[in-house]
Amino acid sequence: MRIGGLGVLLVVACFAHISVGSTGAGLLALFGDDAGARMVVWELRAPRLLVGLCAGACLGLAGAILQAAVRNRLASPEITGVGSGAVLGAVAASTVGGLAAQPAAMAGAALVGGLVGGGLLWVVAGRSGDVAVRGVVVSAVLVGGTLLLLTAKPQLAGAVSRWLLGSLAGRTWEHLAPLWPVLVVALVVACGLAGVMDVLAVDDDHAHAVGLAVVPWRTAALVTAALATAGAVAAVGATAFVGLLAPHAARALVGPLHRRLLPTAALAGALSVVAADALGQVVGVPAGAVTALLGAGVLVVVARRTGGFG
Amino acid sequence: MIAEVPLSARGVRVRFGEREVLAGVDIDVRSGEWVSLLGRNGSGKTTLLRVLAGLLRPDQGAVLLGGDPMAGLGRREVARRLALLPQSAPVVAGLTVRQFVRQGRYAARGPLGMLADTDDPHVREALRATGVDEWADSPLDRLSGGQRQRVRLALALAQDAPVLLLDEPTTFLDLRHQVEVLELVRALQHERGLTVVSVLHDLAQAARYTDRVVALRDGVVHADGEPGDIVDSQFLRAVYGVSGEVLQITTNGLLKTIVVPD
Repeated sequence: MRIGGLGVLLVVACFAHISVGSTGAGLLALFGDDAGARMVVWELRAPRLLVGLCAGACLGLAGAILQAAVRNRLASPEITGVGSGAVLGAVAASTVGGLAAQPAAMAGAALVGGLVGGGLLWVVAGRSGDVAVRGVVVSAVLVGGTLLLLTAKPQLAGAVSRWLLGSLAGRTWEHLAPLWPVLVVALVVACGLAGVMDVLAVDDDHAHAVGLAVVPWRTAALVTAALATAGAVAAVGATAFVGLLAPHAARALVGPLHRRLLPTAALAGALSVVAADALGQVVGVPAGAVTALLGAGVLVVVARRTGGFG
Repeated sequence: MIAEVPLSARGVRVRFGEREVLAGVDIDVRSGEWVSLLGRNGSGKTTLLRVLAGLLRPDQGAVLLGGDPMAGLGRREVARRLALLPQSAPVVAGLTVRQFVRQGRYAARGPLGMLADTDDPHVREALRATGVDEWADSPLDRLSGGQRQRVRLALALAQDAPVLLLDEPTTFLDLRHQVEVLELVRALQHERGLTVVSVLHDLAQAARYTDRVVALRDGVVHADGEPGDIVDSQFLRAVYGVSGEVLQITTNGLLKTIVVPD
């Protein structure tokens, strides 16, 4: 029922998204006689919408996985090293590697960066489980690396800022091509791990006691989250707060069981990014700026209502 | 898989840095008995329980579970033979009692088997045996400490393992709930023929409920036997470092100690 409501909102957001832009063309233009309008919708708006849907779903999913795997409700792709690692990978590929025009190569670079970032956190945090604080440290180092690359190649600052901020501008079918398989794989693997994540979300001793080998399963969950994050970041950059808030919205809607929580978090993430991009196009800012500004407000409200995220 | 000695430790040594917490412990837990581990803070009793549960690998020595070296058993196989009530009790907001207790079936059903929402007779029976079935669909975070402890016991029972380990099961509970939990464990021990090992702080409770006490001191077994045979003023001094008088131990296990500070 509640998922149905979320689905309706998502459909409305998609219609709104495909209808905004400098020409008045909407979805119906695809079936009309106006070749120019058809081209605008099919070549510009449709891929942008689909990239937004898939990237948002990836971020929501990654956030839900991470919050279970590291047992911290503040965990999100941004602060676990995975998000900032993926950004660093994408920025390095476009500045040093000159691969900015090749979406598949960018996706690969972001994936490697995300895995390196996640691995770095794994090394730093170890078994302490103190991911919240150490994740911030790891992320700061990775963001520092990104800024260093920018300083070395200042002429690329404009092009690179899209990854730092998160933007759907100019996304094409080429960007969708590596993204949707990532979403499908991450979603299928994550849903397969749903029962494992229910156990991991409680406590390590608890997981051991009921017979779950914590380290390999948590690693599998983290790799899945890194994959989803990297796919999203390679396509649209780091879209702030989506990975943090979508799982909270999903949890409020369907409760803590992951076989319902994971797909719902993906839906909520898709809705956030598409709605943010539609709104952003109206007011003329990137989607990442909208999620950053609105997300901060939502975070404050949620934290007050629930008495924090402890 | 009912072995005469379902759980035993052989020459177990554990070091934390420089400190040797367990310095060669041997213990045999016989089928169907309830053994409590006693000792002052830092004597190694919780460490020993964690080693017996397979949560901690000993630096030397071995744990035998159902006759097999635990080191050679997979995590799920261990959980099929041994259930543990850990000391810490974090609660996932919104998770219901039934959803939590179902997690006790992980070892039997595996990662993919956990996805199906089938009605599991072991879960139903565990909820009933611990008297928590009336709250089965309530969120765990809405229950009181005593109720939660029963639910955690239900989770351990749902594993359907012949050995049950309890790490300070009465900590954080008021006196009434302490007695309730201990009575429940004893009833389950007798009804199901469970073998139980627990860390207990309260000497009187250990004597009242358990068949055997194993007292640790400085990482080795200082005394091992029936409470009536070994608990006396010398025991109090050696194990806890206090002067005291043991007043009486009657046949039903009631024990009274009067402790006089030096």
